Amino acid sequence: MYSIETKNLSYSFSEKETVLDNINIQVPEGSIYGFLGPNGAGKTTTLKLVLGLLKKQKGEIDFFNQPFAPNRIQVLARVGSLIESPSIYAQLTARENLQVWQRIYNCPKARIDEVLNIVDLAYTKKKKAGKFSLGMKQRLSIAFALLHEPDILILDEPTNGLDPSGILEIRELLIRINREKNTTIVISSHLLAEIEKLVTHVGIINKGKIIFQGTLNELHVMQAENSTVQYETDNNDRARDIFTECKLNSVMREGKIILPKMERSEIARLTKLLVEDGIDVYEVASVKNDLESIFIDLTKN
Amino acid sequence: MMLFFRSLSSEWLKTKRSAASWLCIIGGFFIPFIVFLGFLYRKTSINATPKFIWEKHYNELWQNMAVFLLPMGVILATSLITQIEFKNNTWKQVHATPQSLTTVFFAKFSVILLMTLKFFIFFNIGILLSGIIPCLIFDGSMPKESIPVFAFLKGNAKFFIVCLPILAIQYLISLQFKNFLVPVGIGLMGLIGSLIGMSWSKIFISPYVYPILMVFKLNKDYNLFVYAFVYFLIIMTAAYFLYISKKEKG
Repeated sequence: MYSIETKNLSYSFSEKETVLDNINIQVPEGSIYGFLGPNGAGKTTTLKLVLGLLKKQKGEIDFFNQPFAPNRIQVLARVGSLIESPSIYAQLTARENLQVWQRIYNCPKARIDEVLNIVDLAYTKKKKAGKFSLGMKQRLSIAFALLHEPDILILDEPTNGLDPSGILEIRELLIRINREKNTTIVISSHLLAEIEKLVTHVGIINKGKIIFQGTLNELHVMQAENSTVQYETDNNDRARDIFTECKLNSVMREGKIILPKMERSEIARLTKLLVEDGIDVYEVASVKNDLESIFIDLTKN
Repeated sequence: MMLFFRSLSSEWLKTKRSAASWLCIIGGFFIPFIVFLGFLYRKTSINATPKFIWEKHYNELWQNMAVFLLPMGVILATSLITQIEFKNNTWKQVHATPQSLTTVFFAKFSVILLMTLKFFIFFNIGILLSGIIPCLIFDGSMPKESIPVFAFLKGNAKFFIVCLPILAIQYLISLQFKNFLVPVGIGLMGLIGSLIGMSWSKIFISPYVYPILMVFKLNKDYNLFVYAFVYFLIIMTAAYFLYISKKEKG
């Protein structure tokens, strides 16, 4: 079952500007879904639409295989969210901020202390939230999202403003929540490296369109398919001519010849050809692109 | 209904230590404190008045309050309470909670009404203290007449009713504009423009002057309370539909 599913979701702020174009997202129950894309790709707009913060124009949004709009209140009772920058009442303490939401969600008061401990803000006591650092505000916002023990967490760039150890802590926290409570987590980011150790599924959005969706394993397969072979010789121009004669496209990058992925026997044959032509071969390497490069390639294209 | 009260309680907590809350206290006690200082300076008390000492004291304070401070306070407090969400970037969090837009709309407006009530309570406490303390200081006794509690309550209720359309107008505008200066600016223009046009026979079309019309009893030809109620209902209906039909909710 999908915890969240969108069908042909489209959105435009004006007739000329289409922000989202037929977005189809499937977030499996119990997964950690990384929603990736460069800044301005449409991540926040998608998440706002999913939460009903923007008026839907076209398409369908389902939660737990039920349409969102007619079940809005029941669905939101099972969803915790953090969208964009932290939403914090500056004149209130962390505890009072949590009380604001505890009263609406009607969850036990004891949860306030629990989530304060989880996000490590219990020590702030009477300090006003307005005086918190950005990282502390971000952690408090995550505490709001966790307060009512939701079935789904929707977190829009939750690690913004956090230092590396803070990012690590949040990552471990999300993995723990996912494992212990089977909470489905949707986490958006513009940095693949930041969430690739966390997610089970990935959706990549660029210019309002989904350009990849699948499991992290599927992305790794894509990574393998996008591997390259690199040559470094004393006469790269002549070497490239030989590759062209063998009907292989090559490009130069940082003094090295880059060729598409090929069989090991083919690498041996090409190397032999170069040596027979009197070219000194300094280096032959089979290089796997990292996920970040794939992400950049996907979003650039 | 329980959800509404939970929402109301949550909204009330948001006003803790807020500018609106401070305005309520300062605004409520400001005029009574000035009048109290006047008594101290003149070394006298309300006992110096021959008859109806409380009525005279009450009317004097309400006259000062109704002309400028009450409409101004209502304009500011309404805008400040709504501004809490804009300023803290919390509308999106509010609208992602399991409560209907109708609940949010009315819970927030109820908090504004409660805040106005709090303002009235502080003002009335101020009226009583500014009457009693000078008597104790200069006469060594309590005021010579008892407090006309029922008349005071009735008067307060009337002022509360004539404030309703101003509250509704300011609420409507405050919900639509992120910039705090817009509702305050429109409210001030409405108030000052209406004060300039006070001599106009049809000035009753502006709800901003209703407290003044009431305190100076200038509404002999028409029932101000009916106008106030009708205005209030129309504007609140408009505010509600504008609020629920907003394209972006955070």
